[in-house]
Amino acid sequence: MRVGVAGVGFMGAMHAAAWVETGAKLVGFTAETTEEAEPIAKHYQVKVFPSLAAMLKEVDVVDICTPTHLHAEMTIKAAEAGKHVICEKPLARTLEDGQRMIAACRKAGVKLYVAHVVRFFPEYALARAVVQQGKIGKLGTIRLNRGSFRPKKPVGNWFLDESKSGGILLDLMIHDFDYARWLAGEVESVYAKKITAQNGSMLPVDYGLVILKHRSGVLTHVAGAWAYPPPTFRTGFEISGDGGMIDFDSSSTAPIETLLQKISADAPDVGLPSSPLDESPYTTEIKEFYAALCGECVPRVSAEDGLAALQISLAAIESARTGQPVSIQPLAEVQS
Amino acid sequence: MKIGILSFAHLHAEAYIQNLRAVPGVEMIGLADDDVQRGQHFAQHFNAHYFRSYEELLAARPDGVVICSENNNHRSLVEMAAAAKVHILCEKPLATTVEDARAIVEACEKAGVLLMTAFPMRFSAPVREVKARLDAGELGRVFAVKSSNQGELPARHRAWFVDPKLAGGGAIADHTVHLADILRWYLQSEVVEVYAQSNKIFHADEVEVETGGMVMLTFANGVFASIDCSWSRPPYWPSWGGLSFELITERGAVLVDAFKQNLTVFSHEIQRPAWYYWGSDANQGMINDFVDAIRKQRPPKVTGVDGLKAVEVVAAAYESVRTGQPVKL
Repeated sequence: MRVGVAGVGFMGAMHAAAWVETGAKLVGFTAETTEEAEPIAKHYQVKVFPSLAAMLKEVDVVDICTPTHLHAEMTIKAAEAGKHVICEKPLARTLEDGQRMIAACRKAGVKLYVAHVVRFFPEYALARAVVQQGKIGKLGTIRLNRGSFRPKKPVGNWFLDESKSGGILLDLMIHDFDYARWLAGEVESVYAKKITAQNGSMLPVDYGLVILKHRSGVLTHVAGAWAYPPPTFRTGFEISGDGGMIDFDSSSTAPIETLLQKISADAPDVGLPSSPLDESPYTTEIKEFYAALCGECVPRVSAEDGLAALQISLAAIESARTGQPVSIQPLAEVQS
Repeated sequence: MKIGILSFAHLHAEAYIQNLRAVPGVEMIGLADDDVQRGQHFAQHFNAHYFRSYEELLAARPDGVVICSENNNHRSLVEMAAAAKVHILCEKPLATTVEDARAIVEACEKAGVLLMTAFPMRFSAPVREVKARLDAGELGRVFAVKSSNQGELPARHRAWFVDPKLAGGGAIADHTVHLADILRWYLQSEVVEVYAQSNKIFHADEVEVETGGMVMLTFANGVFASIDCSWSRPPYWPSWGGLSFELITERGAVLVDAFKQNLTVFSHEIQRPAWYYWGSDANQGMINDFVDAIRKQRPPKVTGVDGLKAVEVVAAAYESVRTGQPVKL
């Protein structure tokens, strides 16, 4: 199985590192410019393709790690060429795009998997297993928190253009919308508030609060922050049932804390707490997709799940804009 | 490759059997136990073949065995396996006396079989990360270490853990060795002096052995390191215990809590918080290394000598408790 990765940002690099741990053969990269792709291609001693079209001729699987608004066209081209697709989350920028992607892949008879990596983080996977085992009884409320700083890129920061990224409610908080749905099932309505602020020379702040009502009656509260100073990144959850609760906070469960004095003026005083694992969750994810492509398993997250999570994010964006709750209409793709 | 398990006296065998089955290319051939009832119970529980004797298991010509007997039976089982030319992973502590530990190392050297001591913390993701940072020079020189490996009373799991003859002691024998080994590995220096105090205040009426212990090690390079090895965790502590340490270096400090990657689960059933560990499984890394060492006929990452050195520290700690004086090694 030959794999090509489109996009060489953080996610392209994480996925490439994961692919080399599988039985697949990483054959090359394509990016907006060939210059961007050269360092990573050199690192893995693989090709730089001048375009997606060129890459499609030499691969069986395309792993799309490009900006969100480009996912649809690239996926559809790959499907039309008969290639399987792994697509980074969010599945697409619009619901119609997501639906077109699923339809194109179904029509071409190729697999489409969406990389909702949170389901592969061991703490999130274990919490769901504990819920499934009935240890906390019937779910009542869920609180999901995720926070860091507004994504930075050296050039062309598409994250800042909401027409491309969807902003914090889509790009960041879709992780937790997907997880909420994995825990508590389909969502019935969404109500959201959001602030996006840039105050002079200070760091920009984006913050969103969203309340989901699931059809099961469960209520989920999701908080997303791009408001903390770099390099902060923290996540947490509180899952409560009528027979107990589960509590997790990444900042209080990191095994390594470093309190080192500066050795240079620009070094931080205190390093990030570190929570090392033997295997990166990105690698766990790509290994599962690889096994699924080999016909050995059904992955824990489907393209349809990605579409349903996208729908929740888009509803949150609409609710934040209008100030009104937004109902979620059942999707034909998810039901079939 | 065929691997068997000799004795299920130590509860870690329950983890290792699953770790062995998770390694591609390894056939877990079954287990033997001189306690027939215990052996048959675990063979049935894990759907594994039960050999009626250790000799019968060794006659099945495994490439390696994992020894999880009571501590004072390690020597006879190692000698038996070494004589059968089988590679050995032996549970910690390697032995209950320095004499037995030396005999174990010599028997394996003489027979030309690999001997690994079961110190899984060497394969713990956080412990390995700090080792890498130390070796890369990011943390500077280490001056001192504060550490603890505290737990609940292990008699809850197996009665022999608190039998002085079978276990070789109490909390000191049980919980000094992991940190002594990590520190030798981190510092690349040997222990030259040991001071220890112990008491029996926790579970005083239930056991004969010490349940509280404080140990201070001095290394050849001048680093001093304390180890709290006490069985001080109450039975309603959210987990079995833990292992943590703080390195004081020329640049400041690094704090490690090796079993911190947990969910906290509250359930009406048990009416108290419980920690559910989601970090990586260090036992798996250790078992993988044992198998890889056999395949490549190379020394395992933790050797029998490492096990012997830790036993020497334990013996010195008990001598210090007896005399009230620091003991030179």
